[in-house]
Amino acid sequence: MLVIVPKRKHSDMGAGVKRDYQGKEKAKKNVGADQPRNAYTSMFEAFRDELDEHHDRRNRIGKVSRDVTALSKKIVRKLSRPIPRHIQSEIDGRLKEIAELLETIQPDVQGMNRHRYPLFCLEEFVEAVSFAHYLHHQALMTPTAAQEALPADIELTAPDYVFGIFDLTGEMMRFATSVTALTGSMPTGETPQKSSGGEAQSEDHRDEESVLKRSILADMQDVSSMLQICPTVGGKSGTYAKKLGIMIEQVCKVERLGYGLAVRGTERPKGWMPDLNEGYTGGGDGDDFGTGD
Amino acid sequence: MSVMASFGNSPANLSGMIDPAIFEYLKAHGEEEILVGDKLHNITTALNRHISTCQGLLSHIHSTASSNFPSLLKNVEETGIQPEIEGVGELAQFSSQFPYYKYNHRWSRSIQNVVATILLTAWLGGMGSEARPGELGRLLTIEEVGEILKVPVNVKDRDTFHITIEEYLLALTDITDELSRLAMNSVTMGDVSLTLHISKFIKDLFAGFQLLNLKNDIVRKRVDAVKYHVKKVEDVIYDLALRNLLPATNA
Repeated sequence: MLVIVPKRKHSDMGAGVKRDYQGKEKAKKNVGADQPRNAYTSMFEAFRDELDEHHDRRNRIGKVSRDVTALSKKIVRKLSRPIPRHIQSEIDGRLKEIAELLETIQPDVQGMNRHRYPLFCLEEFVEAVSFAHYLHHQALMTPTAAQEALPADIELTAPDYVFGIFDLTGEMMRFATSVTALTGSMPTGETPQKSSGGEAQSEDHRDEESVLKRSILADMQDVSSMLQICPTVGGKSGTYAKKLGIMIEQVCKVERLGYGLAVRGTERPKGWMPDLNEGYTGGGDGDDFGTGD
Repeated sequence: MSVMASFGNSPANLSGMIDPAIFEYLKAHGEEEILVGDKLHNITTALNRHISTCQGLLSHIHSTASSNFPSLLKNVEETGIQPEIEGVGELAQFSSQFPYYKYNHRWSRSIQNVVATILLTAWLGGMGSEARPGELGRLLTIEEVGEILKVPVNVKDRDTFHITIEEYLLALTDITDELSRLAMNSVTMGDVSLTLHISKFIKDLFAGFQLLNLKNDIVRKRVDAVKYHVKKVEDVIYDLALRNLLPATNA
């Protein structure tokens, strides 16, 4: 899990390296030096410096964003319920790395520049923390809580949040599928056989046994209805519509899972994999339910 | 069977999974984007009409003898550029309430066009002020363009409407295109000296563009096209030289 923290080098980092046909670095030719200067040379030189600064900044942000994305994905893959201690410490370690990485670009994305550069890693980060939050509390993380969870002084925008939630339902689907396959029932608010892992959600329900346990399916349906009702955020409406479509598909898959379980679940041995894709028959070993995203 | 029973209860549970605050948050942000988007659409549509008018008026340079430029340009300034300035003012005032880079893609192209019309008018001898009278071959700086439009340029320390360096550079690639066309037409109209003037200007700009370290983006794409503008003008000069039609000093 070695992650290379990008160090700030100066100017030439952003400019990239030109190579000849053998892949050797070409000596940087200084275009300006051997050319006669004209009336506009100094103006263009000033522009060049400005643009270089901008490209360097974008580069730094892009690198950090990729690394944070990778770390967030690693966290997501480890999340389950309950979370064993050694996994939890691994997750904590990754969160710390994310904090360190984001800190290096914090000045680059302040104020006006927040909306200037793409920072897709925040969606991935929201996906990870909101999934952890869901597993602990069986509730959707609020934007405020997500902002607080972000270990850097960077504004979390509404599109960051929403697109993170779109990814979250994918994880919920994966989780629902694997738990259902392993235990033979849809995960609900209260895990039948207890354990220290899921504190909060058991407390909510312990007093009132009569209250129906919410299943993960109902939760996914709630989230997808909400995002269908709410107006589109995030500029390009195409992205939102596409993600919404994918999410509804995911909800349908879990609905099919619930249906299969209700109709004939009891006939099947534990470990049997319900069929998510129509037409395809056959079980699985409970490990390749990976229609994740 | 508890699994089955849990399917029908989602409305009652809405508050369990989803904090109403999330709903409020998403609605507020989504509605703001819609309102801002609509308003920006109206503003840029109006602005684009002014730009078309201005570009249309300016296109007469290709069929007007350069001696008649002053009156043509005066008309361009009054009926073309003035409404553009007002349109940009309205845009600047409205958009400054919101994060600049969140929405700037919606008007960036329009601003480039506005800047290009101003630069071209000024280069041809218009846009004179009391402090600095117009003259042929004058390239306005980005700061001067900002003064004419009454908006800041290249702002880095606060979040407000401004003209970016990229927009200015892209506008420059627009005027090299337009001037390369004029280089040809001015020969047709018998004004070879204007062609030579344009040739030098475009070459100087081209040399300037060479100084930039460009990335694979729109600026590179458009700057790459400038070499064809240079070539177009060079071909005209070549034709003239071949037939000894160039003034003696330049031959």
